[in-house]
Amino acid sequence: MKRLALVAVATLATACTRPEVLPRMPSAPLAESGHTALDTTPKQDRRLVPAEAYVRTYLQLFGGLAPLEVQRRARGGDGGSLFDTWDDYLSALGFPDYRLDLPRGTQTNALMMAAFERLGVALCDRAVEHDLKSRPPPFVKDRLVFAFEPPGGAVTAAAFAPGFDVLHRTFLGYPARLGPAGREAAFFELYQQTAARHAEKGAVKSRFTPSESGWAAVCYGLVRHPEFHLY
Amino acid sequence: MKQRPLLILAAALVAAVAPPTRAASAEHSLDDYRRFRALSIDLAGRAPTRAELAEMESPGFDLDKWIDAHLEGPAYVERLERIYMDQLRLEVGPAFQFTPPATTLHRETILGPDGKPIWVYYRQNQRRARVETDGEFCLSQAETGQLFPNNQPPRGTAIPVKQKAIDAATVLVRPWWIYRDYRAASPKQRYGLDWGSEASGYALIKEMVFEPDGITPTTEVRVCREEAQAAEIGHIYASGRGAPVKPPPKKGAPAKPGKVPPPPPPRPVPPPVAPMVNGAKPMDGMGGLAKAPVAMGGTPKPPALQDRLKPPPGDNPYAVQHKGEEVSCRGVVAETMTIDCGCGAGLEHCLPGDGFAQDPRAFSFPTHIPLGLDLPFASGAQNASSWNKLWWSQEARHFFTRLFGTDRDFREVLTGRWSAVNGPLAQFYRSGALASCCGRERQFKMMDESEPLFRPAAVPTDLLPMDTDKWEDVADRGPHAAGLLTMPAFLAKYASRRARGAAVYSSFLCKSFVADHVDLKPSTEPNLMVREGCSTCHATLEPLAAYFSRVEETNWVFLPKEQFPVENPVCKKNAQGKMPGFCDFFYDGAFSDAKAGSLRGAYAAPDHAERGPAGIAADVTAQPEFASCAVERVASSFLGRPVRDDDARLLESLRGTFVSSGYRMRPLVKALVRSSAYLSANDDRSSLRAPVTLGTAPVAAPPMGAP
Repeated sequence: MKRLALVAVATLATACTRPEVLPRMPSAPLAESGHTALDTTPKQDRRLVPAEAYVRTYLQLFGGLAPLEVQRRARGGDGGSLFDTWDDYLSALGFPDYRLDLPRGTQTNALMMAAFERLGVALCDRAVEHDLKSRPPPFVKDRLVFAFEPPGGAVTAAAFAPGFDVLHRTFLGYPARLGPAGREAAFFELYQQTAARHAEKGAVKSRFTPSESGWAAVCYGLVRHPEFHLY
Repeated sequence: MKQRPLLILAAALVAAVAPPTRAASAEHSLDDYRRFRALSIDLAGRAPTRAELAEMESPGFDLDKWIDAHLEGPAYVERLERIYMDQLRLEVGPAFQFTPPATTLHRETILGPDGKPIWVYYRQNQRRARVETDGEFCLSQAETGQLFPNNQPPRGTAIPVKQKAIDAATVLVRPWWIYRDYRAASPKQRYGLDWGSEASGYALIKEMVFEPDGITPTTEVRVCREEAQAAEIGHIYASGRGAPVKPPPKKGAPAKPGKVPPPPPPRPVPPPVAPMVNGAKPMDGMGGLAKAPVAMGGTPKPPALQDRLKPPPGDNPYAVQHKGEEVSCRGVVAETMTIDCGCGAGLEHCLPGDGFAQDPRAFSFPTHIPLGLDLPFASGAQNASSWNKLWWSQEARHFFTRLFGTDRDFREVLTGRWSAVNGPLAQFYRSGALASCCGRERQFKMMDESEPLFRPAAVPTDLLPMDTDKWEDVADRGPHAAGLLTMPAFLAKYASRRARGAAVYSSFLCKSFVADHVDLKPSTEPNLMVREGCSTCHATLEPLAAYFSRVEETNWVFLPKEQFPVENPVCKKNAQGKMPGFCDFFYDGAFSDAKAGSLRGAYAAPDHAERGPAGIAADVTAQPEFASCAVERVASSFLGRPVRDDDARLLESLRGTFVSSGYRMRPLVKALVRSSAYLSANDDRSSLRAPVTLGTAPVAAPPMGAP
């Protein structure tokens, strides 16, 4: 019994012992291994042009027509091969559907990009037909997109520049000279390659001349440019 | 005079030191172009054209003036409207159907005496003097060979109907949807010839303009006699029949307990008091309700059940007790309790339909209008519900247009009693809105809407139902009107009291409900403000919902205090703890007791229930968060991102501008688009600086024109 009591007392004494405490030690300063710069540039994404503004711009480029008239002209005699119907594009463009509580699209996605591409190509092709292929051709001031006289013959970079500037202003809203270095040259190369491909023997038959195809390709590039869809 | 050379010298010095003005600058930076493009997109509604860029590059261009001019334009108004439409989504979806039986004319096809099809318009469930057709289509199975169930194709084989039967049961009318001058004695201005087209905004589908052969233009429509009446006041009708005659129970089936009330003594059918509308032509001179083949004064003999779809409607106790009393022809009871209320002159109180479907079609109108009604993206034949819902939504848009276009005090978005209506909305407020009342309300002695949210007397009298493009201001909808909150677009979109309260809370105070981290335990506690797991949201939500206690859910019927007190002794619980059955819809048994029933939704804040939607409008707009929320919503939309803590100074400054200008949006937006935050709202400026060394305060490049 005595032994048991001793064991109990010893156990109790051990249990009540103060826990071991490690004293706080100041940490050693970290050695500087380099000097980091703070990036102070804004980090938010660029704004997506609201769907309403995109379509109003599109209608304006088509000559300031009403949507249903644009649809009629964009489809032309090609049925749905160039332009389906607005119904097929509205939600893809980011329009909200208040009836179904579908919110506005505020970021691009694959479907939206495809819709931009489809609409852009339709605009450029119909603009080539209207501005460049019409006979007699409309006055420059009456042209929708290609408001310049396309240079004839072998096109040089210098001859290409004024027309490109018109398109650059039309779609991106500022002169081409203020764009990033190399942009004009890249688009000139695109023009040249497209025109050359269409001029090759055995090239796929097109309703556009090589020059018209070249300008259409430049138009495709600008109407699908991120700067056209963002602001 | 001696000071003059000094002044000239000083002016010359100032001119030499001062930077060249923007107008005089020949060269523009990329930032200038980008800013102009952003402003064009936000204030002109699209990217700038080449001509507009040329104007911006011209020496005399003044950007501030350009901004001021565009803050007056329609694109700016649409830009602001979009912010709140995105938030509130005030278009009612397909799940909400609105086809009140009292104002919806369906159409059935019968065979004329020559065997050719004829269209006849009628209202479902219409009470009629003829027992064979009472509550059903106005021509019987014996006459047509068919039965016409609601919303279903006819049953049976059609037989040619005798002219005498057709003339006895129907009349010819020149309706409003075809004749613009339908109120004239002899209307002549026909749709398609003198007025109306897809381009004008009012277009009928082909089936409404041509006879069944698809070739013959419709000049008059054939309508059941009861529906063609033009009286505004009708009389309670009692047929003298008791409970509906039901088929005998099957052999061996147990008899239902309870007493079967004896049929009341037969009563004479009141003579029709309503005049017929234009073109109502009893063809043989013997038509009319008084001469309908129904027993007069004697005991009506019910027809064999196989001649009808359902037993003829019996008289309810109210009809028996109040027989012959006057009632408004615009409410629910007009169709179900009278036989002398119709669709009015030229059927102007009803919407037509092209068939028997529950939601029939009549008009072709835009299906997608993201750029407004003037620029539709697609159009097509749509049903009557969509017609109404389109105009409800347009009322909200017009409200925003006026609010932002004339730069009114933004608090009026909730408090304004004004609105604007066009022809279809005028028709709706004169008829359709009232036709939602009063069925259940009748038990509380509410026979028609005594205190509607939109007083019919406030509707401009010169607006005709087909005036889709003619909008007129309504200065005061009525004492219960409260901005958007009492418009059908809001009340149908947010159908429950809680949904309405939550919409106001989140849209105009920028607050949301966040549930606490608690377990949801089974509970019998009806008070959600204290029930564990619910209280974190409902302690706030229930008092907000209480403001809408007097506006019926999924409806806009206002429940007046007189008939529907918050504490109603009529709805007290009995010894078994139950309220009278007719109270259940309006009074909440969970909060009622042996003394009184408690108006649904009011338990959390009876004073809120009394103050109604106008009360929540006043209380919310008085809170400081209202202005902060409006500023936050506009700033976030223009910046293209949610506002952050970094924006606190900007928001405070904008809020000051907004409040000091009398809660007007134009000064707010003007200050916002001139702020450096707006100018740096994307990361692609040409003036981006190289990363600076840690610890160096960033120095923002002064943006063009920034204050």
